[in-house]
Amino acid sequence: MKKGTLILMAAVLLYSCNSEQGSEEQAIQDSLDNVTVEAPAISEEVISDIVQQIPSPLEISVLIKESGSDYDKSILNDDDNASKYNSNYSRALNLGIYGTDLGYTNIYEQNQDAVGYIGAVRDLADGLNIGQFFDFSTIRKLATNSSNLDSLLLITTKNFNKINAYLQDQKRSDQSILVLTGGWIEALHVTCKVYEKNTSNKTLREKIGEQKIILEQIQLLLSLFESDPNIKELGGDLKELQTAFDKIEIVNTYAESTFKEVDGVLVIEDNSTSTVNITDENVSEITRITESIRTKIIN
Amino acid sequence: MKKIILTISFLSLLVFVAPEVSAQCDADEHAEACIPNLKEGFNFVKSYEIDGEDGDRNKVEYSYVFAKGTQYMLNLCSGSDDTDGIVVSLYNSSRKLVSTSDANGKLYSAIAYPCNATGIYYISFTFKGSSKYCGGAVLGFKR
Repeated sequence: MKKGTLILMAAVLLYSCNSEQGSEEQAIQDSLDNVTVEAPAISEEVISDIVQQIPSPLEISVLIKESGSDYDKSILNDDDNASKYNSNYSRALNLGIYGTDLGYTNIYEQNQDAVGYIGAVRDLADGLNIGQFFDFSTIRKLATNSSNLDSLLLITTKNFNKINAYLQDQKRSDQSILVLTGGWIEALHVTCKVYEKNTSNKTLREKIGEQKIILEQIQLLLSLFESDPNIKELGGDLKELQTAFDKIEIVNTYAESTFKEVDGVLVIEDNSTSTVNITDENVSEITRITESIRTKIIN
Repeated sequence: MKKIILTISFLSLLVFVAPEVSAQCDADEHAEACIPNLKEGFNFVKSYEIDGEDGDRNKVEYSYVFAKGTQYMLNLCSGSDDTDGIVVSLYNSSRKLVSTSDANGKLYSAIAYPCNATGIYYISFTFKGSSKYCGGAVLGFKR
């Protein structure tokens, strides 16, 4: 930790010299990347278990398309921004963001835009030295033909899963969590933006409220790496979002399920229910805070 | 004489190493092979490795946030036609059993769960008369 503090102080000192702005910013980012992150208080295995819980952002993209909403590229992060992300922290977060954007463009079969996001994902993955897990030539080939959607979704999901596993194996769980957090923030942002145009859609409103469960898990994961000043700040920003989510109530009612066999598959008939109590005011607050956090990340 | 000693040494080595090799569990390979088993319309989400460590481990557990209004499918693979005694059970966030593949007097290799209550669910793999204690599973979803 002492070493980390010294590096951080050196970085701040370097910044205060006020010579060439660009190179100074890069130097600070490099220094922050080199800050020694204290090992988390719990085992990598437990971290991996929690990481595994977080649902794929693709689920939300499928829901949005199903809601009948038109494709809207303007709500996504511009793929040209990829070159701006020069620290491992911003690369990891924005890799997650672009992963969600890529899933969204794929679901809507927007091949041209998908190619742009594949490039952005490749650049950030290369920057994090995990580019080897993306089979870019195959992904690009699949993305140019709409009939390959299933294969495209499969291969991109597999690639992101491999990245997650690799980062955890390499004791880089902090980066794995940042990728995940970025992906989740983007999915929440997209859902909020789509809901703004379609406020009668109860399913979307509930979906936003349900994110309370995911945010709790993400906050738990980020809290394990608070020795990294960037992660600590992000956790602080998400705390504000958590306060907004605290106003939402999720009521679960358990009832024993039944089952039947259909074509050799055991189909569960779920008799439990969950209800999300969320108002439009709650959604507006969540939308505003999410927007503010996301803007900070992508700029 | 030298040949005999070498042969004995080699055979002894086999005796000690062979059980290790046969006990190896390539759960990742089983999970990968399971992906095509997802029914049409389901999008792949995650693969799960099930390594019972030759019987030393009686439970392998994962968790995932299932969402109301989404249908999930879990497929089990063991490298043989059946599940080789691998059972998957689903528990809700309060650890109440939602369902198990050990039903109707048989072990199903696929279960579908149209979720009606959003929350963290535990996907628990156990073994019932398994011979290899090794397999893989995949999770898919569709709206």
